[in-house]
Amino acid sequence: MSRAPSSLDPLLGPARARIAAGSALSVLASLIWLAQAWVIAAALAGWLEGTGAPAREAVIFLALAALRAGLTYGAEGQLFRASERAVTRLRDRIVARESLAGDSGGFGGPGAVAALTVDKLDALRAYLMRYHPAMTRTAIVPPVILALALSQSWAIGLVLLVAGPLIPVFMALVGWAAKEASARQMVEIGTLGDLLVDRVAALPDIQLLDAGAQVTGRFAKVSNDLRQRTMAVLRVAFLSSTVLELFAALGVAMVAVWVGFSLLGVIGWGTWGAPLTPFAGIYLLLLAPDFFQPMRDLAAAWHDRAAAQAVAEEVEAWQAAPLPPLLGHGATAARLHGAPVIAWSGLSARGIDYPDIRIAPGSRLAVTGRSGAGKSTLLGLLAGLQAPEAGTIRVCEQVLDDRNADGWRARLGWMPQTPQFPEEPLRALLGEGEPDPALLRAAALDTVLDRLPDGLDTVPGESGAGLSGGEARRVMLARLLRARPDVVLADEPTADLDPATAARVTEALLALAARGTTLIVATHDARLIARMDGEIAL
Amino acid sequence: MRAVLRAMLKGQFRPLLLGLALSVLVLAMGAALLGLSGWFITATAAAGMAGAGLIFDVFRPSAGIRFLAIGRTAARYGERLLTHNAVLRALSALRIRLLTAQTRAPFESLTRLRAGEALNRLGADIEALDGLLLRLLIPVLAAIAVLAGAFGMLAWLTDPAIAGWVAGSFALGALVVTALAARPAIRASRALEDTVQDYRRHLVEMLRTRRERALLGKLAESRETLGRLEHQRRRRAARLDRVERGTGAALALFGTVAPAGALWLGGSAVLDGRLGPAVAAIGVFVALALAEATAPLRRALGDYGRIAQAARRVAPILRPAPQPPTGQHATTGALSIEAVTLRRAPGRAPVLDAVSLRLSPGERLAIAGASGSGKSTLLALAAGVLAPDAGTIRLGETPLDALAPEALRRAVTLVPQRAALIQGSVAENLRLAAPDAGDAELKEALEAMQLAGVIRARGGLHSPLGPRGAGLSGGEARRLVLARALLRRPAFLLLDEPTEGLDTPTAQAVLENLARALPQAGILIAAHRDTELAFADRVLRVMPNGHLAATQSPERSEIP
Repeated sequence: MSRAPSSLDPLLGPARARIAAGSALSVLASLIWLAQAWVIAAALAGWLEGTGAPAREAVIFLALAALRAGLTYGAEGQLFRASERAVTRLRDRIVARESLAGDSGGFGGPGAVAALTVDKLDALRAYLMRYHPAMTRTAIVPPVILALALSQSWAIGLVLLVAGPLIPVFMALVGWAAKEASARQMVEIGTLGDLLVDRVAALPDIQLLDAGAQVTGRFAKVSNDLRQRTMAVLRVAFLSSTVLELFAALGVAMVAVWVGFSLLGVIGWGTWGAPLTPFAGIYLLLLAPDFFQPMRDLAAAWHDRAAAQAVAEEVEAWQAAPLPPLLGHGATAARLHGAPVIAWSGLSARGIDYPDIRIAPGSRLAVTGRSGAGKSTLLGLLAGLQAPEAGTIRVCEQVLDDRNADGWRARLGWMPQTPQFPEEPLRALLGEGEPDPALLRAAALDTVLDRLPDGLDTVPGESGAGLSGGEARRVMLARLLRARPDVVLADEPTADLDPATAARVTEALLALAARGTTLIVATHDARLIARMDGEIAL
Repeated sequence: MRAVLRAMLKGQFRPLLLGLALSVLVLAMGAALLGLSGWFITATAAAGMAGAGLIFDVFRPSAGIRFLAIGRTAARYGERLLTHNAVLRALSALRIRLLTAQTRAPFESLTRLRAGEALNRLGADIEALDGLLLRLLIPVLAAIAVLAGAFGMLAWLTDPAIAGWVAGSFALGALVVTALAARPAIRASRALEDTVQDYRRHLVEMLRTRRERALLGKLAESRETLGRLEHQRRRRAARLDRVERGTGAALALFGTVAPAGALWLGGSAVLDGRLGPAVAAIGVFVALALAEATAPLRRALGDYGRIAQAARRVAPILRPAPQPPTGQHATTGALSIEAVTLRRAPGRAPVLDAVSLRLSPGERLAIAGASGSGKSTLLALAAGVLAPDAGTIRLGETPLDALAPEALRRAVTLVPQRAALIQGSVAENLRLAAPDAGDAELKEALEAMQLAGVIRARGGLHSPLGPRGAGLSGGEARRLVLARALLRRPAFLLLDEPTEGLDTPTAQAVLENLARALPQAGILIAAHRDTELAFADRVLRVMPNGHLAATQSPERSEIP
């Protein structure tokens, strides 16, 4: 994490113009205080002389305040829109790449990716809205005030000149500490997210194993770590802002003391000859805090910048992490033309070499082998969910690649080993309209639906809670039958099924094959293997 | 809201109270600092003009200014550190409390938890609650206290009209802004948070099911949904931002009505000779300083909707759970199911109808039956994670529902069909079952489940597994789950299709080794494979009418 801080400029992208506009408006708003302070100083100086027009002064002061509020409103609007645009751009980029992957990548699981995409990117907003305006204000407002002070008194100018630059020096010192702390906090946020997603999925087992206390303990540790990391970030931020406030307070106090003594006539040095007028004294005292304010804002924004850098590094880490893309776009597409011949040569993935083969349409093929032999990987390769490390797969007499993968998948029917269910009723899962009873029967799903109190409106849990393993598999079968695929890739289609239901599922698959559908089935089920024409033994 | 607040204050009450006191002090010292400085400069100018410069006491006021400047800085530092630390601790405790409540929730509801939802509850909602104290309660209380104090001080030092105007315009400003902006702000912030949580849910859902979605050609649709939600989020965020900026501008304006009025009233009083210029200046400067007190109202209004929403969702989980039974009865004897009936929904035909069975220690019993016939349900009942509609299940003499959960879990281990592994090392997964087991014991369990070689090849006990145990094949994961159950050394082991995904020789070896390792355990298997049926001493079959029938001998088939 101790790499050189990455440049944050690319984050701004097309939002740059708006940020510049917002910064300019915020400078104008700050400069209006110069006029407001003038009104107050003039009024108070008038009181000392026994003159003045209180009502008029109040109205001018109020009018200036209204102008200032308007400018601030405008500035914040510009900056808000700019920050939104930049955040959305990054968010869309992450979603675009993640949604084209065949599986979780090296960056982390769904919890970590969601934390980065939704929560951490939001941390950029503070930086985008505050850093550049504070920078611009620092470049303009303090020099203007310094010039005004110098025009009245070299002593005040000198105080400001000495106290001012201490702030940037101090900022540079805390910058590194702040960044380190932020980076560690970001990592911890991701860890907490992934831990939650992972453990929530295992909660039923955790309860059965009476491991609740253990899991909660681990979670408490991570949650506690996150608290400490967050506190570390805050401590640096609070301490630095306290030190800066102290600088500013001491600077202002020195100005006040000098102005007080000058006005009393106790000291006669520090001006360009003529003694300090009450108006000038009060005016300079009113301006002194605002000499420091932009620098204090910048110091605060410096921490936002540190947090933003930590996020930017996470984005870079995400970018650099391997995330093997699937072939194609995962979009609906017209079915790929041609006879669905499948062939591969020199095929290799995850350290497994697959024997060359050519599978004619309508073939019935079992993929067998010990657990871990690469059966599921082969099905994934044939579906274009991952690219082979070596060799080529040909489908419909063309090389399976990005251009034809969506069309190829449109011809496929898929039965996964561990079905994952979206948050939808079964009805939606089975496609548009009312499902055909004959089809439900063929998938042996009719009896299942009869048993479910909500029937087709049942919403299963993430991995099919509410359905038994066999029932979940039959839902997948029904979906597959309905899609009338030309090629079926089935991963253990008869697992979790009793012999009678397994036989029904087998018959349903064979009935598809009888209509010319190619069957490629990864299985241990000897009865199912026996009904196939051939076997790829891995 | 009140329940959540109480939960957060518990244990952190003193630091938070001190934090509140300090934040009142910060605001009060800020007002005093500016008031004193304004008075000091104006008074010195008056004294200088009167030629009384040398007799003016400069030391006490300037010491006061220094004290207030440094004191305020220190108080602010203390207040921030104290309140943030206390709130972060309270949130962490709340988060842990929520998860603990969740681990004790009914089994059935656990199987239906969704990852995205959990992230929203235990992540985003908890984070939103930090605003309850930091941005809502503490600033609002401090502002009220300081405005009241400022009114008193100004009335005493200057005159009641100035005091009334200054405190009144801030109070009125806060009230008017709240009255006008509260509703739109709450609505906008709630709507925004809804969209953000929707987005998070959809994103997790897409990431989790992307293979499925790719095959159905639905990944593009997910992408579009997320794009649409992001668009909606931006619209809603912009709406909230407009309300917030409007609130900010209105507060700033009211914040200048106060000094403007002080300038007008004070000036008139000076010109009439009712007040000295230096004293009148106090009103103007204090009014300038008090803007700091009401400014946080902007964030408070902007965040209120989100905070209240989060509190509403979190509160039900905080409700005290019914006290679990504490029976620690001896776990000797049989596990007996007596005339148990269960329906999936009221008024429907029972899945299990007056079912009885008795599982003795050391016995191997298999339950056969068509897929979905109620085998898993029977196991869930026997494990006490599902309550029957009628009938009793006993461990020895004690009904399950009278046993303390930990006593029940110690005696009975259920391995469900969809047992899950966790991200972490192999050892961590195993130690979920037996926290105190040594490496040798873990290795023994792996050996018995024919996994020792696989795990050694992966790098041993401390080799990491991905989310949900990713990295193992289906069959390997299944055996690791069985090894985990074995480490519990239960008196009764309930296995739901334990050898799924295993080839026949491995399945046989695994079952035999389980029985050998736990010779005293009663084993109940929801079986559908011949290997599993053949392993049992006795086979019962769940019939379509929900009755349990004995079968003469395990089914044999053409599979060797």
